[in-house]
Amino acid sequence: MKNSRHPAARSAWAVLLSLLAAIPLFPAVGCDLNDPDRDVKRLFPESTGYRTLYVSVAGKGGRELLHQIEARLGDSFKGLYETADVPYTMYQVYKGKDLIGYIHGVNQKGRYGGLQVFLALDLQGNIRSFYFQKLTSQVAKLLRDPSFGRQFEGLNLKDFYGYNVTTAATRGESRVAAIRNPAPQAEDDFRAALRAVKKNLILVDEFLLGNKYKE
Amino acid sequence: MSRQTSVLEAQNLTKIYRRGSEEILALDNVSLVVRPGEFLSFVGPSGSGKTTLINILGGLDNATSGRLKVGGRMIFDGRKGLSESELTRIRRQVFGYIFQKFYLVPTLTVEENVLLPFAFFKKPGSPAGALGLLKSLGLEKRTRHRPAELSGGEMQRVAIARALINKPEILLADEPTGNLDSKRSEEIGHVLKSLNQKEGLTILLVTHNAALARMAQRTITLRDGRISS
Amino acid sequence: MARRINVYQVAVKNLFRKKTRSALTVLGIGLSAWVLLSLLGFNRGYEAALNKDIDNMGFQVLVAAKGCPYEAATLMLKGGTGLRYMNESVIRDILRHPEVEKVTPMLMQAVFDPNKGESGGLSAYLGVDPATFPALKSYLKFKQGGWFTDTQAHEAVMGYEAAELEQREVGDLLLIPEKNIELKVAGVLTRSGTQDDGTIFVPLRMLQKEFGQEGRVTAVGIKVDRRADITALENKLYDLPDVQVVSMAQVKETIMSLVSTAKVMVLSIALIAILIAMLGVVNTILMSVLERYQEIGIIKSMGAMPWDVFRMIWTETVILCLLGGGVGIGFSVVLSKITDILIRRLLPYTPTGSLVAVDSGLAFLTIGVILGIGLVSGVYPAWRASRVRPLESIRSEGE
Repeated sequence: MKNSRHPAARSAWAVLLSLLAAIPLFPAVGCDLNDPDRDVKRLFPESTGYRTLYVSVAGKGGRELLHQIEARLGDSFKGLYETADVPYTMYQVYKGKDLIGYIHGVNQKGRYGGLQVFLALDLQGNIRSFYFQKLTSQVAKLLRDPSFGRQFEGLNLKDFYGYNVTTAATRGESRVAAIRNPAPQAEDDFRAALRAVKKNLILVDEFLLGNKYKE
Repeated sequence: MSRQTSVLEAQNLTKIYRRGSEEILALDNVSLVVRPGEFLSFVGPSGSGKTTLINILGGLDNATSGRLKVGGRMIFDGRKGLSESELTRIRRQVFGYIFQKFYLVPTLTVEENVLLPFAFFKKPGSPAGALGLLKSLGLEKRTRHRPAELSGGEMQRVAIARALINKPEILLADEPTGNLDSKRSEEIGHVLKSLNQKEGLTILLVTHNAALARMAQRTITLRDGRISS
Repeated sequence: MARRINVYQVAVKNLFRKKTRSALTVLGIGLSAWVLLSLLGFNRGYEAALNKDIDNMGFQVLVAAKGCPYEAATLMLKGGTGLRYMNESVIRDILRHPEVEKVTPMLMQAVFDPNKGESGGLSAYLGVDPATFPALKSYLKFKQGGWFTDTQAHEAVMGYEAAELEQREVGDLLLIPEKNIELKVAGVLTRSGTQDDGTIFVPLRMLQKEFGQEGRVTAVGIKVDRRADITALENKLYDLPDVQVVSMAQVKETIMSLVSTAKVMVLSIALIAILIAMLGVVNTILMSVLERYQEIGIIKSMGAMPWDVFRMIWTETVILCLLGGGVGIGFSVVLSKITDILIRRLLPYTPTGSLVAVDSGLAFLTIGVILGIGLVSGVYPAWRASRVRPLESIRSEGE
């Protein structure tokens, strides 16, 4: 639009300024990859394609299933991103006609805002890679560092059964205990990340792996 | 009942077609009288003027000269004919038509096709419905069928029923068996004869079919636009 | 009871002769009716939604710092610097006018958040005065908590959607990136259906201090006494140095004039679509007449007057138009969301709320327009049919 000298036109832009008090935000509810074509290829370089599935707890088993998942998590589902009808986006990754793995992300409440934690998994549900798609933190650089994510590689849901998401305690020989927090000042975000991973793995187990790891 | 001695009187009817600078004399001083209840057939070679004559007699066309009275009313007096709307009114009251092509409406049933004239005009004394008429023509089992499901003979009988629904005084039939085989043609011939004999319907028939022509009471032969016998 | 058949029944059945052709004609009319109805609905809905948005701003007049607002807007959208500021003393100058009932100062600041989205994004904060702002925005209600406890507090009140996105509740923390300032959520608003749903409000004084903008504001909202002449006040406010005065009526006028160009364009397209659809109707009916030339002649021989034939053919046009209009209304209702999305993509500014307000009145108007044009379009084919002479048609080779 040309810069008009007409006072009304200029005034209109000023008001648009004030009307635009908040910058456009991300779409609420659900956790999709920002750019699936690019992200799938990055997480699975050998892949040739992927399929997207949308599932929900309400669609599969309703309140009863919700309670079962909460029991597995060791915590209740809270807030807008953890209702029974939240749609979970699951990516099935293919190489040719062969299924080679899965990608799934979950929302989790963090210290300063919502976190989005994505996992790339093999067909047995073992973690291939971990990353934060969204994270607001003063020490975000440390948590986003690949060395932090590498600590999760090879872990699966069985390992996380030994981790208590509310107390952060580990029992037995859980490999989760070996995961180090690179930013002690962001302990709550670190614990939020672990809860997010456990929740992520439970949902993948429920919807994609046929409860392979159900206790 | 009509006390007329004639339903149709034609005097010195002449029809000239103009095609550019060329003039074609289709009818040359044709005169005839048709009595009520007569079954008349018109025969002659192609181009003899029989269809031209029947079209003029039937109010479908105007003559170039001559006089024509239908049902006691002057249709054409040598100077000018009636307007299209006036001709339509006469046609409604007096004539029913059947042609070589049946011209049935394909989306209407047999019954609806027969009733079609009532959509535009219902003559006092016309039957309330079509079923009786269809039954008299042997079509009582076909009333709900569409034309595409009928044989040629059946379609022509439907066309006859449609032509008769408004109780015309005169039925004009122009080559009604032209699209039918001999068996069906004979059927139609018997239908026409029966209508004439039992109902006293005046019929003017144009045909190339000699057997059909013989079913009429009187045959008029035309040649080169004139009545030869 | 004896069966009868009438001209209208014959007309309806005639349309079934070539079902595909009739269906396509109806679809064409339906699409043009959809466009027309959507446009009429948009005409009504946009203005209503804009009025609502502007009314929901709470102030009738806004005073902002003078400068190129376009430049300010783009700079603001790209980065928080370069905004034009006013001295707070302007509030005192504004309050001198008796027409002014209430004022509220505002400061907008934005920072780049590298953690937002793919390659970072902007986070904006609106500094407001808790003593005066709520009074001018009385429609804002709290889902949780309330306004700030102190004018200097490091607190925030979040719009409904802003809180939803970040999963914030009262007592949770927010971080202002770049500055690394922690804020505590004091309140979460209920959904208002306005831009405020995505806004993060902070205390004005705190924002001024943290961003080094003490004594400065970016805008002042003014509520005008209802008996006052707003235009007269605006003219007086223009005399204030280095400010520009924005009247909501002017804003609306400007936005509407921006939009009217789009509306004229869409209206032209709608009319062209209707004309094309009507040409389709004329073509369909005319083709049908020519195909039935001999049949129409026979109908005339049966005793149909020219007006009977005209009526029959014209009825076919009416039926096609009514069906098409109905289909178009159906499309409008079923596809209203998609229409909304399409319009939002086309226009530079779209208010919140539904953009397309379709009601039964507009639906009837659309049918009326379609029918009217259809009746005119149907005249020629019907006239052609009524002029058929039985003998000529019987002699003709038909199709």
